[in-house]
Amino acid sequence: MPKWLRGYLLMVKWVFLSYRAWLSLNFAVQIGIAVGFIFGISFLYPAITPDIAKYLTTGAPTLILLIVGFVVGPQIIASARLEGTFDYIWSLPVGRMSHLAADATVMFGSTLPGIILAVGLGAIHFDFSLDISPLVIPAVILIGAGGTFLGYSIAFLVPKPMMVMVITQIFSFVVMLFSPVMFPVERLPGWLQSIHEVLPIQYMADLTRGTITDLDVNLGLAFIVVGAWCIVGFIVTLIVVNRRQ
Amino acid sequence: MLLEIKNVHKVYKGKVKANDDISLSIAEGEVFGLLGPNGAGKTTLVNQIIGLTIPTSGSITLNGVDVVANPGYARESCSFQSQTQVPISGLNTLQAIELVGRIRGGSKADVRRRAMELIDKLEMGEWQKTMGITISGGVRRLVAFCMAAVEPGKIVILDEPTNDIDPLRRRILWQEVQELAKRGSAVLLVTHNVLEAERVVDRLAIIDQGKVMGMGTTSSLKEDDGDTMHLELILEPSQAEPTLPDFLQNPVIVNRRIVALVNPADITTAIDWARGLKESDAIEEFSLGPTTLEDIYIRLVQNPDEGEQPGEVM
Repeated sequence: MPKWLRGYLLMVKWVFLSYRAWLSLNFAVQIGIAVGFIFGISFLYPAITPDIAKYLTTGAPTLILLIVGFVVGPQIIASARLEGTFDYIWSLPVGRMSHLAADATVMFGSTLPGIILAVGLGAIHFDFSLDISPLVIPAVILIGAGGTFLGYSIAFLVPKPMMVMVITQIFSFVVMLFSPVMFPVERLPGWLQSIHEVLPIQYMADLTRGTITDLDVNLGLAFIVVGAWCIVGFIVTLIVVNRRQ
Repeated sequence: MLLEIKNVHKVYKGKVKANDDISLSIAEGEVFGLLGPNGAGKTTLVNQIIGLTIPTSGSITLNGVDVVANPGYARESCSFQSQTQVPISGLNTLQAIELVGRIRGGSKADVRRRAMELIDKLEMGEWQKTMGITISGGVRRLVAFCMAAVEPGKIVILDEPTNDIDPLRRRILWQEVQELAKRGSAVLLVTHNVLEAERVVDRLAIIDQGKVMGMGTTSSLKEDDGDTMHLELILEPSQAEPTLPDFLQNPVIVNRRIVALVNPADITTAIDWARGLKESDAIEEFSLGPTTLEDIYIRLVQNPDEGEQPGEVM
């Protein structure tokens, strides 16, 4: 087995065991959120149609993945920076990116049950059909990786770990209310639409919608834009993580 | 020499000079002590050896390999016990030790055998299956030591390994440190616990304000003090410290303990003075003996002008 793979797998084990207690709780919370989300939509939109329900439900995977990548991940990094644990972890013969990849793997693994449940339950409850393509796998990996790389870049670029906590809270607010994940981009003012033409968020939502439903989205463009952001995020993360004072 | 550090300067942003022209070297099988007060620049130097930070100037080579340019080689070659606590809250003792052993390239069977050996030797069996989050700071420190010793690298770097550890296990830990050296690893021991270091190290460097103030074996460092003697007094509880006479050199008062050096010509006077304090119940006890490493340490750290950078790497 290549050394990097062995190191990565052992770090996955380390991270999994370390987060074990949190993961059980997170699993329960994810299930609760998924169920709450589906039934909560009915309260927000009493006259909801299957089409609107499909749109909202299929936005949930992107929202969950982005919140984990942009908010939960950076906050974990910020606490680790505050505790000084990177001094130890980075002294081990495992590449820094392998360690972060292990972290991201466990975090995203923990979101999948909630995502699958939310989408499945939504389809049953609101009576719409899913059209799941094999492309859903690369799509979810790309959204998860893109969100994580961008989140990690922020977590390491912001000098004060406490500031990371504040910034990620702002991010979650922006993603929830001012990003075209749960509503079409046309509802935003023109200037915000222009910004979202460049940002990856609406394309991430397109990726999930286009791979789990028959909704008409430009999947090719979504893969290209999210892929490009993923590469940028990877390069920035690689640089900031391997920086030495 | 296995590790060669030559003329290392480290200046942080804001012009904080953490290391100032440090040169030293460590051989295989040697226990080398890096002693100095808090903020002396010890951890900064260690962080440069293991590739976490890079020197502003100077070179660090390990087995002839430039570790500044090849931090990956440094990580492969150095096993490290960090001064900060290790992130093992979610792991039990055995899992934590075994995971590091496996990450450092050990086979499953060898790592299990060695982990159990360390757990037995350090009498940690009762915590073998205890989660890191519930064990005390001292036991966590022991676990961190085992993590560094389970699959030791060419260099084992121990940063304050005995903090919070009970005296009996400290003794066993020091034996293990020497065992690591016997097995061929070089051990770099970073500490400000001078008394303990004296019993373990083969050679040492005392650093202060980023500079090497003295380096050599304990005996060679003591030679500079000639026949000077070490006087130690323990004050009676709640007694005010007495006025210290001029013949006491480099006196240091820590809590109830007064330590000073005495020239051979002043020994009789010093004994008479100490006896007088004892008879007036100002002190509990006193002792006079040969100078210790602690005396050398205090002299070099208190009087930085006396320190000298060795002209060549030892």
